Amino acid sequence: MTPERFREMVSGVLIVGVVVSAAFIAVGFVAALAVGWQGSLLGAAAATSANTDFSNLPRRLATLEPAAIAQLGLATLLATPVARVAASVVGFALEGDRLYAAITTAVLLILLTSILVLR
Amino acid sequence: MTPQADLGIFAISVAAGLIGALAGVGGGILVIPALTIGFGVDIHLAIGASIVSVIATSSGAAAAYVRDRMTDMRVGMFLELATTTGAVCGALLAAVVAPAFLYVLLGVILLGSAGMQVSRMGEETPPTASASASGLATRLRLASSYPDRKLGSEVAYSAQRIPLGFVLMWIAGLVSGLLGIGSGVLKVLAMDGAMRLPMKVSSATSNFMIGVTAAASAGIYLGRGDVDPQIAAPVALGVLTGALIGARLLQHISNRSVRLIFLPVLIAVGLETIARGLGFGI
Repeated sequence: MTPERFREMVSGVLIVGVVVSAAFIAVGFVAALAVGWQGSLLGAAAATSANTDFSNLPRRLATLEPAAIAQLGLATLLATPVARVAASVVGFALEGDRLYAAITTAVLLILLTSILVLR
Repeated sequence: MTPQADLGIFAISVAAGLIGALAGVGGGILVIPALTIGFGVDIHLAIGASIVSVIATSSGAAAAYVRDRMTDMRVGMFLELATTTGAVCGALLAAVVAPAFLYVLLGVILLGSAGMQVSRMGEETPPTASASASGLATRLRLASSYPDRKLGSEVAYSAQRIPLGFVLMWIAGLVSGLLGIGSGVLKVLAMDGAMRLPMKVSSATSNFMIGVTAAASAGIYLGRGDVDPQIAAPVALGVLTGALIGARLLQHISNRSVRLIFLPVLIAVGLETIARGLGFGI
C-alpha cells in the first residue's frame, strides 16, 4: 500500500465515522425539536429510562425515540478513534512497516483494555 | 433546553471546534465553562459533553489533516503508546491521589511554558528543521516533511529529543486520566517544545491523538450517565462544524498564527487548572 492510499484510508475511516454519527445526531436532534427529548416518533409512551442510559438502546431505537437516535450517533462518534487505530494497524501492515504495525497494535490493545477495564 | 439555548450551545461549540482544530486541543476549555456558567448545565454533564467535544474535534479535523499530510501519523502512533499507557495509570491513580495539589502544579507548569511560547513567537519553523535526523529519529522514522501552503514550499523536519517527548507524552496521558484536563495543550507542548516539530504539525498531530486519549476514558463517562444527548447533541454538531472549518483554515495560515491562537488557550487552561486546584469549581 502506498503512503497516499494509507492516508486516504485512515482519513476515509474518520470521514465515515464523522458523517454517520453527525447524521444520527442531527436526525435525533431535529426529531427531539418535534416531539421532545422524552418522546417517540411512533407516539409510544414517554421514555421511562433516563436519556443518559446507553444500555437499552436497541429497544428504544425500535420505538424511534429521538434521544436514542442521537445516542446512537454519539456512540458512533466515541467509537471512531478506535476504528481509526484499527485501520492504522491494517495500513502499516499492508505498507510493510512491521515496527509501526506492532506499535499500533499495542496502542489498540491498550485502548481496548482501558475501555473494557475502566468502567 | 429552549431553542435559544440550543442555538447558543451550538454557536459556542462551533467556536470551540474552530479554535480546537487550529490549536490542537479539544475545546473543553471553552465548552465546560460555557455550559456550566452560561447555561446552568450540571458539571458532570458538561464534562461528558466535553469528552464528546474532544473526539468530535479530533475526528473532524484529523480527517482533513491526515489527507493533507499535516498530521505525522508515525509520530502520532508512536506517542499514543505513551499517552494511552499514561492515561490508564492516571485513571487507576485517580482513586488514591488527592488531585488538588496536582491541579495547581499542572497550572503553574502550563503558565510557565506560556513564557517559552512567547519567546518562540517570532519563529516560523524550528531552526533545526533542516538539520539531519538523529539515529533514533531515523530508526523510528520520525523525520518527514509537510506541505506548507502559506510558505509555498515543502518543509522538512526531524523529531528532536525523542525520549523527553515520549516521557512528556506519558505525563500528558497521566494528567488527562487523572484530572481530565489539559490533554491537548500538553501534547502540543511536548511536540513543539521538546521535539521541535513545526507548530502546524504539532497541532495537527495533537488533534489526531486527543481523540484516542479521550476514547480511552469515554466508556467511564458513558457508564456513569454523564453523556446526555440533550446537551451533547448540539455540542457535537457545533464542534464538528467548527472543526471542519478550522481544518481547512490551518493550511493557509502561518505557524506563527497557530502559535498566536495556541498561546491564549494555554494561558486559559493554566488559569482554569489552578482555579480548580484551589477549589473554585468551573
